[in-house]
Amino acid sequence: MRNSRTLAFAIGVIGVVTLSSCSRPAVDAAAQKMSDSAVTEPRATQPLRVRLMTGAQYANTLKYFFGDDISIVSPFAPLSRTNGLLALGAASAGVTSSQLQQFQRSAATIAHQIVSAEDLDLGIPGRRDTLVPCKPASKTAADDACAEKFLRATGKRLFRRPLEEARLSLLVAEARDSANRVNDFYEGLAYALEGLLISPEMVFIADTLEPDPKSPGRRRLDGYSVASRLSFFLWDAAPDDALLEAAEKGELYTAKGLAKTVDRMIASPRLADGVRAFFDDMFVFDNFDNLAKDASVYPGVTGVTLVEARDQTLRTVVDHLVTQKKDYRDLFTTRSTFMSPSLAAIYRVPSPPGWHAYEFPADSPRIGILTQVSFLAMNAHPARSSATRRGKAMREVLLCQSVPLPPPNVDFSAVEDPKGIFHTARERVAVHLKNPVCAGCHRITDPIGLALENFDGAGQYRAAERGTAIDASGSFDGKEFHDVAGLAQALHDHPSLPSCLVSRVYAYATGGPIDAASKSLVAHFTQQFGARGYKLPDLYRAIALSAAFSDVTDIPTAAAQTVSAK
Amino acid sequence: MFRRLQRLCAVGALVGLAAPALAADNSPVRQGAIGYALKALYWAVYQTPDGKDECPQGFNTWGPRETFKALFPQDKGQKWTEQESHLAREIEGWFPSDQPEKFPYIEAVGKVALGLNLDGKIGANDFTSPTGEKGVDNELYRVIGCQVHYRLPDGQTTFFDSKAIVTDHYNRMMIEITNVDDLANDPDVTVTVYRGLDPLLTDATGDNIIPGGSQRIDVKRGGRFHQVFKGRIENGVLTTEGKDLTFPWTTGFGTPTVMIVKDLRFQLKLRETGADGLMAGNVDIENFYSQLMKAESTHHEAYGQLSPPGLARSLRARADGYPDPKTGRMTTISAALDARFTQVFILHPPKAIAQSAHSPADAASR
Repeated sequence: MRNSRTLAFAIGVIGVVTLSSCSRPAVDAAAQKMSDSAVTEPRATQPLRVRLMTGAQYANTLKYFFGDDISIVSPFAPLSRTNGLLALGAASAGVTSSQLQQFQRSAATIAHQIVSAEDLDLGIPGRRDTLVPCKPASKTAADDACAEKFLRATGKRLFRRPLEEARLSLLVAEARDSANRVNDFYEGLAYALEGLLISPEMVFIADTLEPDPKSPGRRRLDGYSVASRLSFFLWDAAPDDALLEAAEKGELYTAKGLAKTVDRMIASPRLADGVRAFFDDMFVFDNFDNLAKDASVYPGVTGVTLVEARDQTLRTVVDHLVTQKKDYRDLFTTRSTFMSPSLAAIYRVPSPPGWHAYEFPADSPRIGILTQVSFLAMNAHPARSSATRRGKAMREVLLCQSVPLPPPNVDFSAVEDPKGIFHTARERVAVHLKNPVCAGCHRITDPIGLALENFDGAGQYRAAERGTAIDASGSFDGKEFHDVAGLAQALHDHPSLPSCLVSRVYAYATGGPIDAASKSLVAHFTQQFGARGYKLPDLYRAIALSAAFSDVTDIPTAAAQTVSAK
Repeated sequence: MFRRLQRLCAVGALVGLAAPALAADNSPVRQGAIGYALKALYWAVYQTPDGKDECPQGFNTWGPRETFKALFPQDKGQKWTEQESHLAREIEGWFPSDQPEKFPYIEAVGKVALGLNLDGKIGANDFTSPTGEKGVDNELYRVIGCQVHYRLPDGQTTFFDSKAIVTDHYNRMMIEITNVDDLANDPDVTVTVYRGLDPLLTDATGDNIIPGGSQRIDVKRGGRFHQVFKGRIENGVLTTEGKDLTFPWTTGFGTPTVMIVKDLRFQLKLRETGADGLMAGNVDIENFYSQLMKAESTHHEAYGQLSPPGLARSLRARADGYPDPKTGRMTTISAALDARFTQVFILHPPKAIAQSAHSPADAASR
């Protein structure tokens, strides 16, 4: 039974991937004018996409529907970063047979938790009475009516659209057969639920088309696909019941209905989850999963410190952008953050237990998220700082610029010579600038990275390195600065800072990289973003309401028919 | 503020530049105050490498197992009831008499001991410190100096009591030095003792305590441990006046205990990351013994070959202070503790909470 389920999964994957790879040149689909902007939105479409859900999205979805106490061991393999985002890597990710086994194990564990009976001796909470909306006539026998009720509702939530009746019947039959085999209704239900959890429709987010009533002969994303796009973008989770209902009623294809839905979603506390997930991706915080510091050099940095460093920046981001609705650029000059006891030891400040809001004084060198432990420690070596890595991260992550990889024959002997007398990083990296092969790239990374040299590889402040005072002055694309506050201001004022964010948000929202056709659209959103004070919720709203958000390139009719026939 | 400016200027001088506009306050001395939390505490026992100088007769070997075996031999066919054997011996531990036992109790000898001159006099019985200071009062050293139980590095009490400081919160003793202008020299500082509430900060191994943690003051139940001392700092060494102090001791087997010391004073070498030195005073002997019985238990004593009744007799014999007005018997014994602190930021409660807490006097009387 399980092997046949695996085969079914594989066929399903092939089906959805085929769907995603079929495309034809852009056609003149009727653009939906759903943006509230007075400025005409440039037109852009994207190809149909199939994206693998991320581990966080899988967990967020299940926890939202079944409770935070559901234990989820993520079966998802790490994604490859594409055009600056893991989310874009999800559009080219597959599932290998060994990963499929992980999915099956994880699904079985989750399914049994959802239908669990209370067992105080084993510490298992009883969830079935809450999560299964009916009681079987007998716990030891199949009950098709109750199984159908549960599977219909749960299937809709997990597949993000109503189950086809044939599929539902199949699941009910699976539940019946299993229940009768083991004389346990809930075991049977768990087996069918496991089938839902492992289905391609669950773990892949596939665009689905429907005939476009406003343009006969053409097709558009169906309402459920739009609902999924909105939900994974804004909440990093599957749609809730209200959003599925809006899709079912066709409200997502009316300007008023869509605006009402988007506003509800942006006003929801779940927006914080979506914003957290986006910035965790954009800031390359998955690097924290493998980050370690040399304990002999930085004894104060523990595993907890690094976990909380990541959390600190994400808390700062969410508070600044979502709760306070402040200017995105001010994130790089703000003194406000959150502090925990283990981080406080690195910042050398007092801290009561737990997280609490913290404000660095006006004369502190801690200014903006560049000077938080997360950025400083992540973009450094295990035992020392790295002006190059920090400068490169600023260019690539925050400004969407590209810094070429070092040549394969790079000679590190000069900077790694143990007899070399380099008191400071500035002296060390100066060697790069003497070598023409290195200088091209290091000229764009090192001068800005050196402005952060007052912070060691763990992010701790230092006035001097090896007895020599640190010179944090420099210039950033023509702007001179004297210290890290000057760097922060230069970054704040850099024209690429908001446009980079906009392009990343748009790519994240639509699941694909920015192509040439989308550049004018990004410029349009950037202009709107600036005109409204660089407020992130406004940007999210503008993108979610734009025609481009749900405007996909239709596929050839023959291929469409093939997919429909399936 | 003056000190802060001095630090900024020092950085400027180091660079040969003007003082920078931005500088993190890396010094743990904030607004004239620095806090330390106790991370290890041992009874100060002067030890020569092989112990031959201070314990020429060797170390005590008559612990609970050995004395029990001698008192109640099992190999001569005699049967002992629980009441006659275990309980009887246990009672002798909890209520030791002054009658001599047949087991030897070896005391430390010699003229060298760790400690401070508590009475300001140089008496015939006094010790000289390893660094040459005369008049050191530390009679407790004679009592415990030849007990492996109290010797570093493997003594049971040194291991378990210091471990409890790290693993428990009950005995989170802290000192805060205020009015500090200069951590190297300051003729007038105030030292306040608090109990803290929070775990100590450790490195990635979890074994090594590191500075920079934060501690809240226990204003709710820590009032009895609160005390204020005046002191001075000379060449980086803090010396305080003497005052009575009760402070949380170890929590052995779930039993929290305290140590009561009269006329206690601190002598600590201060650093920005910690402080090490002595806490010396006159230890209440009944409380000392009570703590031993309650928290150390026969388990620790057996491994340390420490016989409580023998120690009790030595303790009473060597007690040298605060005579009971009625009986004339000495109630305290001069002693010193080897104390090691790590720097912490001490978090004061909001004024309203601090004012609503019990005063030290109120709490101590309860």
